[in-house]
Amino acid sequence: MSNIERMMSAEEKKALEALIFQLADDDFLFSYRGSEWLGLAPHIEEDVASSSITQDSMGHAAMYYKLLEDLGLGKADDLAHLRPAQERKNSVLTERVNGDGYYMDTPQYDWAYTVVRSYFYTQAKRAKINSLRESSYEPLRDIAVKVSMELYYHVMHWKLWFEQLLSSTEEAKSKMVSALKLVVDDMGDLFSYGEQKELIERFDLIDSEEKIQNNWLEALRPTFEKLKLDLPIIPEPKLNGRNGQHTDELQTAIDTLSEVYRLDTATNW
Amino acid sequence: MVTMRAMTADEKMEYFMERIESGDKIQADDWMPEEYRQTLIKLISMHGISEIMGALPEKEWVPKAPSLYRKLGIMAKVQDEMGHGQLLLRVAEDLMKPYGKTRGDIMQDLFNEDLKFHNVFHMETKTWADAGLIGWLVDGAAIITQTNMLDASYGPYAKALQRICAEEVFHAQHGESIIMALAEGTKEQQAMVQDALNRWWPALLMFFGPPSKATTGASKQEATIKYRIRKNTNEELRQSFLDKYIPRILSLSLTIPDDTLHFDQEKKHWVYQQPDWTEFKNIIKNNGPKSQARLNLRRSSYENNAWVREALSAVVE
Amino acid sequence: MSEKTFYQEFEVFSKRTHAASFQHQFDLLAPNEDMALMMAQENFMRREPVVDIWVVNKKNIHGMDEEERLSLKRLDNKEYRTTKGYGYLRKKWRKYEQEMLDEKEILSWAGGKEK
Repeated sequence: MSNIERMMSAEEKKALEALIFQLADDDFLFSYRGSEWLGLAPHIEEDVASSSITQDSMGHAAMYYKLLEDLGLGKADDLAHLRPAQERKNSVLTERVNGDGYYMDTPQYDWAYTVVRSYFYTQAKRAKINSLRESSYEPLRDIAVKVSMELYYHVMHWKLWFEQLLSSTEEAKSKMVSALKLVVDDMGDLFSYGEQKELIERFDLIDSEEKIQNNWLEALRPTFEKLKLDLPIIPEPKLNGRNGQHTDELQTAIDTLSEVYRLDTATNW
Repeated sequence: MVTMRAMTADEKMEYFMERIESGDKIQADDWMPEEYRQTLIKLISMHGISEIMGALPEKEWVPKAPSLYRKLGIMAKVQDEMGHGQLLLRVAEDLMKPYGKTRGDIMQDLFNEDLKFHNVFHMETKTWADAGLIGWLVDGAAIITQTNMLDASYGPYAKALQRICAEEVFHAQHGESIIMALAEGTKEQQAMVQDALNRWWPALLMFFGPPSKATTGASKQEATIKYRIRKNTNEELRQSFLDKYIPRILSLSLTIPDDTLHFDQEKKHWVYQQPDWTEFKNIIKNNGPKSQARLNLRRSSYENNAWVREALSAVVE
Repeated sequence: MSEKTFYQEFEVFSKRTHAASFQHQFDLLAPNEDMALMMAQENFMRREPVVDIWVVNKKNIHGMDEEERLSLKRLDNKEYRTTKGYGYLRKKWRKYEQEMLDEKEILSWAGGKEK
């Protein structure tokens, strides 16, 4: 690892950091939204099961932030808690709220939205992780091997929910179709590497945006054919989270998740 | 040979009491006296629903937990609370089967306020220290009452408690770790713990329930001891909590908000300021500071997700 | 209400290693067996290794009631079925200057013949 680092040009380092920030922030926000569901899922057994996925995802985010810390970019906890919205590189899809209402009041979270977002996100994550196993940067390869072990369950879990809800009542189907639309609308930047696209791809840190997106679509195809649904068409991004463009929903999330940490950033919690 | 079916009610009762007195474990579909079944249903459904309601005060701090490690730890802890609810509700549901009741009915009982939940979970959480204190002392108190029932005569309950108590050890250490960091931290962090302790102390004393029926007019401790579900009385359990935790609380330079608190060397027990038992009655009648808000959250999330349960009921395999 | 069929009971079994037997863990409520299987590990085996899981709908289990369980009791007089009833052979073999091939010895043959 140290050999590779020494050989790395300033350009390559910049590309590498940009990519790791995207991976870290994606899992962090995805997990944050999952954690708001804790205790409120439609079924107690499912609450327990999906919380494990949320925890795993936070664990993955922690590995990426640690890698950034090792690259000299600051403490992992500072990176996760203190960066302002415009410095965050997560996709817009991961920052979206779970539904109406604040988690401290009486929120009306939308399980259909959560199922669709989680299925699409974890399947996209798998496409990236598969590619990262061949990354030119060894520490990323090591993380990819670990993450892929847990991703089997995540994808299987959300795929089952996706298939079952779409094979059930008319009410459920119509909720799922609305959720599909909401999720797809926000997918413009999910496969984007933002401004660093050219460098990230040139240094073989990960496959091209197009290839990952295509692998993702191919992974969805059998499920969509089985359910007689058209494969989603990814729109152009309205906001590109990879370039620090975000909705207000991210700011509210950051305010909440760092509320205690910000009381004293120098102390041990 | 007298078969079970041919036994008179008295003979069945005698056989049943012999079984539990010899340490045998009663199973879900065994014959049991109605009073035993009712006592268990009341105890275990309240225990189970308290875990589910108990997830709510702590979940308030899940997204706010002040580091990646704390976020992971508290998520796992609240997940366990839901998991304990799952284990206990399964036990209660099996006992309710003869009445044709399911989990849906238990939830309705909670919403109709027929099924009550534990006094501590009606209280407000104000700071991150509350999350630590709940893990350390509320779970500490829960460990005392739950280990007291590990040998319960009802087999499925004892089995669930085995799993629960093993996880509670993690909960207590998770809480200790938060409290320790605060107690060893800045003045502000120390003040945060002290403030949490001041607010939670009466609720912790109440946790074990009234010393006797005379205090609040109702207590199920007699029946649970008679049927070998638990071993000790409320007051004995409270005393053992005080034995174990007072020295630890004081060792962290915290002050217990009770000037009268002392150990009576002669009687070998702690003398403490009685909490307001009228207030206790009030709280468990869902008139505590957060009773209605939490019930409302539980009710609205249950109803808001009803379509999911209906949808999956329709999935044909 | 239509939610009634959502709450089906499934017994959960799991294996810690491929060499181990399936062990009963606990039970859960699920609307169908795919969902039951999907929730089983995280509900009961979050902190332990597991290599395989079974879920069984309770309605497919044919078990015993309290009365029938009484039929399982046996007298403790069945030495003839076990090695306990043949312990005297050790002394006999000693007379012929032979070691008895007891359970410990026989099971030690799992190592195979030395080559």
